[in-house]
Amino acid sequence: MPVQSLQNTDVILPQHTPHPLLPFLQSQSQNTLTRLYQRPSSCLSIFRLLGPIERQLIMNLLWLESAIPAATMSAWVMPEGKQAYDEALAVMAGLHIAPNSTVKLALNPTFKSSLRQAITGGGNTGSFGTPADKDYKRQSANIENLDAYALERWETILHYMVSSGQGQNPAKPSQGVLYLLQRSGLMNTAHGAILQITSSGFQFLLHSPHDQLWNLLLQYLHMAEERQMDLVEVLSFLFMLSTMDLGREYSTEPLSETQKAMLEDLRDYGLVWQRKASSKRFSPTRLATTLTSSSPPLPSSHSTGGSRAADATGTVALSSGAAQQGFIVLETNYRIYAYTDNPLQTAVLNLFITMKYRFPNLVVGMLTRESVRKALSNGISAEQIISYLTTHAHPQMRKNNPLLPVTVQDQIRLWELERNRLKSAEGYLYKDFASQADYEYVLAYAKQLDVVLWESAIKRCFFGTLEGHSNVRGFIERRTGAA
Amino acid sequence: MEKASHLSVIVDLSPTQWHLSAQASNQYPLSIETFLSQLLAFLNAHIASKHENTLVVFGALPGKSVMLYSSTELLTDDMPPLDANSYLPFKLVDSTVVRKIMDELDAIGKLEEEPPCALVGAVTKALCYINRITHHSSTTTGVAEDPTTLHDPRILILSVSPDLSSSYIPIMNAIFSAQKLKVTIDVCKVYGPDTVFLQQAAHLTDGSYIYLERRDALLQNLIMSFLSPPFIRKILAVPKQDKIDFRAACFCHKNIVDVGFVCSVCLSIFCQPLPVCSTCRTKFPINTLKRLNAARPAITPANSRMGVPLANLNNAATPRSTSTPVPNGMSNLR
Repeated sequence: MPVQSLQNTDVILPQHTPHPLLPFLQSQSQNTLTRLYQRPSSCLSIFRLLGPIERQLIMNLLWLESAIPAATMSAWVMPEGKQAYDEALAVMAGLHIAPNSTVKLALNPTFKSSLRQAITGGGNTGSFGTPADKDYKRQSANIENLDAYALERWETILHYMVSSGQGQNPAKPSQGVLYLLQRSGLMNTAHGAILQITSSGFQFLLHSPHDQLWNLLLQYLHMAEERQMDLVEVLSFLFMLSTMDLGREYSTEPLSETQKAMLEDLRDYGLVWQRKASSKRFSPTRLATTLTSSSPPLPSSHSTGGSRAADATGTVALSSGAAQQGFIVLETNYRIYAYTDNPLQTAVLNLFITMKYRFPNLVVGMLTRESVRKALSNGISAEQIISYLTTHAHPQMRKNNPLLPVTVQDQIRLWELERNRLKSAEGYLYKDFASQADYEYVLAYAKQLDVVLWESAIKRCFFGTLEGHSNVRGFIERRTGAA
Repeated sequence: MEKASHLSVIVDLSPTQWHLSAQASNQYPLSIETFLSQLLAFLNAHIASKHENTLVVFGALPGKSVMLYSSTELLTDDMPPLDANSYLPFKLVDSTVVRKIMDELDAIGKLEEEPPCALVGAVTKALCYINRITHHSSTTTGVAEDPTTLHDPRILILSVSPDLSSSYIPIMNAIFSAQKLKVTIDVCKVYGPDTVFLQQAAHLTDGSYIYLERRDALLQNLIMSFLSPPFIRKILAVPKQDKIDFRAACFCHKNIVDVGFVCSVCLSIFCQPLPVCSTCRTKFPINTLKRLNAARPAITPANSRMGVPLANLNNAATPRSTSTPVPNGMSNLR
């Protein structure tokens, strides 16, 4: 044929890890979810959190008036996609979006009508936030101020965490935030009254801002349950924020009491901005409006050189998927050059490198055995260090393939393995067998069950796991009983 | 992390064809108003799927093509007022697209004869746009090598006009650029006869061509067939045409030909033997011309399949299978 298709290259389906919020939603009752689905903005946000196959299936079903036979839909599934398709259906059933049925396939009617309404507009649910009347006396906050505010709030929290164990006295976040950090196990008061960062707290610091944010919000949701707050109100307010437009002001009037109470907490986290606590209007920040997207929830840190230029383009949706500007250069000789003057980034780096020099815009350090082992003993894993270095690599580093020097990566992993030379397991030692035959007979049985951890034929004893003990014991007792 | 995807939609806005399409004598009359309302729902569905998804809408009008909406740049100054009941980006798409279409249609005015729709212009603009965004993201931010930020560009053509044989060469060129940019071209034939060129466009870029039979189910068809990005299509299949018309148009009279004559030097296609190739100025020997002319009226099935090539001195009668037109019946070669 004249021209051959050039696009036969196989596209591998990108790995989709389910959003952390979804398991939480799945654990809620059908009643709660149906109430949540009454709001178009919630439906739209949840729809966006789902995986690509779920989304396509929902869209396929959205405009159908009646249920269709499940076989009709599965006829479209490619043989190699069967598993992914079944998983998608299971997720949808778990969220009560499409009831689990092998015969008919249809969307939950509440979800269907709300999502339709979200897409076509209209209705009078007001779920996308009521805009505040224009205030002619005072200028509303512009996007730059909002970004700066969100960044300041967020970095205060992180900075407090990272420097808690080092005797420094950084600015303290509000009491609500401290309580949340403590509740979520990121910090605790092990030594006296001073809050200390925990090992999960150290891991938390190396996550992406998006993961960190959801991590905290999930804790917030768990806390809301205990504080007897209406979960539907809380969730729908978060979803409403995520569909709002950055740089606009919204009115607090139509919010429920629960949601007004939430405003205070969200202000502390940097998700919303208000002029005064008593103000009748609020503006969501970028942290809030990117909740359901994968674009960076924070503007690139104000410190990194040239980030201003990146910001200008970053606000254009073109480079929407672009991650924060990287600043780390890692050499094969374990040296790290970090172009930053941001104290938070420096402090995070300090978790696993030995600092050598500090300049106004540059930090130089080394990855050493001691520094990495210190991080490892704090509960940070080698993979987390490597992924942090990867995500924050300087644009210059992006030219390398692989991105990080292999020697350094391997060495970090080896340092981790060093710590894992001993493995402990709970179990039982079986010894003092009367005869070699007895010993071998019991050992063969235990091996069948796959519970043997260690054996020594010379000493005529072996070590079995905890789970296998009752079986092995029963076996021995039966044998001695029979004999 | 899953990629954001880019969609360029090209809407054929030929007033005549839409008038014909709305006639009650059709089995499923479809007016442009109903069409637009369903199209807008489809566009919103694309934006709804992912926050980062980008969308551009081009209109092919008689004699010109215009950009109706772009998610990366504001085309109109006035933002629609905020409203508690609708999601702002959706509202922005809806109002901008409708406004621009109305403006453009009003501007057409009364014409003696309607010039053909500038579909090729719109396709070319869409390709330029895609080139710009993929190129842009690879130069300014260093992260573009990161495969997660690359777009997954697609073009969807909603066509109502019949083939314009004079646009064969530009369409083919557009298809080749699309292949190079790894752009998938999808075609939905909303009204009118099948178009040969668009069928080829979809086939060659691994897209799907759908002739809309149930025109009352436009939205469902759009969503089922054209909403999913290519990687989803490997799991949830989309309908594809099984029969493609591979005929080409001749360069001399722009007719779609079953059997043509191909210049053996530059591969130009002609509907009749010529002494000199009009494209590359190659002269053909008089003997060959005579033989070809003599062979013309009685086309045997055997050589009609390959076409009868024009020949130069070197190889007088070697059939050139590359870029030789294939008659209709032999089209199913996939």
